[in-house]
Amino acid sequence: MKNVVLSIGSAFPEFNKKAVVSIEKGKEFYDLSYEEIKNSGKWMVMFWWPKDFTFVCPTEIAEFNNHFQDFEDREAVLIGASTDSEFVHAAWRRDHEDLRNLKFPMLADTSKSLANELGILETEEKIAYRATFIVDPQGVIRWVSLYDLNVGRNVKEVLRVLDALQTDELCPCNWQKGEATLVA
Amino acid sequence: MFGIASTTDNALALLTEIGLTEESNTSQLRLLAQTDSRYLKDLKINVTNALNAETLNKKEVYLLAYAVAVNEKNEALQKAFSDFAMKEGASEKELAEVVSCTSLLNANNVYYRFRHFMHDEFYNNAQAGIRMSIMANPVLGKEFFELVSLAVSALNGCELCVTSHEKTLVAHGSSKQRIQDAIRLTAVMKSLSVLL
Repeated sequence: MKNVVLSIGSAFPEFNKKAVVSIEKGKEFYDLSYEEIKNSGKWMVMFWWPKDFTFVCPTEIAEFNNHFQDFEDREAVLIGASTDSEFVHAAWRRDHEDLRNLKFPMLADTSKSLANELGILETEEKIAYRATFIVDPQGVIRWVSLYDLNVGRNVKEVLRVLDALQTDELCPCNWQKGEATLVA
Repeated sequence: MFGIASTTDNALALLTEIGLTEESNTSQLRLLAQTDSRYLKDLKINVTNALNAETLNKKEVYLLAYAVAVNEKNEALQKAFSDFAMKEGASEKELAEVVSCTSLLNANNVYYRFRHFMHDEFYNNAQAGIRMSIMANPVLGKEFFELVSLAVSALNGCELCVTSHEKTLVAHGSSKQRIQDAIRLTAVMKSLSVLL
């Protein structure tokens, strides 16, 4: 099988999937659609991990959670995802101390349709690589990183990239001679 | 979103970031928080990023921020950044030198700015007559003393001082990236001091 990862400039695929947003009884699940995120006018940062209940994952997920406010400050919706079902997500969150207070939704791509469309499925087990996508408010993928199954990510690097993508120098002080003047 | 309510008070989040509490909150910050101002979030990001500049170590970051707080006569920020600097190993002597340097540079900024405005032979050749003995053997080290001098001069807008101190730093081997990081930190701290 040849993996073709959806890359910079492509539109992020539509999706509508179950997500775990809480461990409170009756409030665990939420139908999460990409449309809702797009309508919010915010950026999206979606990060994937291979399997619930494994070792590297909780550290990394907890690290994303520690920086939840930093993503919110940057008007970015943070989503965690794997190909496990919503019930496995919920069980894992209840089971693991570091995951109980997660502030972002855990997306359940149980049919693997989204991971497949993104091109991030590992061939043997059909589980997702540690992929991270930054998507702008127009729904265009602006950054992709893809790590092998056992390599952890650096959340600060994700924030640095997000900052760089968002920081346009709008101040007229930065105009260079001959440049077009500020519009809109 | 997603049925989860967000209840963060961004003014308090910003204060926490620089080691302050509700006690230091101001009417301006409260106004921004109440109106869920986009700027407040930007300011917090600017502050965090400036304090984490790669070319400056933590002690240098806090000493520079302290210099800005002294220059802006901002007591809340002076307290916050002197505490942080001491936690990073700054001695009382070093803090005192930052205070002295900031004060002296205020004299120099006014004096040399005048000279630069005038372009007059008499003033250019006249002796400044301002004692600057602390410049000789700074406990902060020559390079960092120059960096603080540059930061204060940039704050107070003296062209002659800014260009001279930048030149000295580059000649001393400081990287332009380090100078740029120090100036961004200075600029962001000034924007913070306006609201505290």
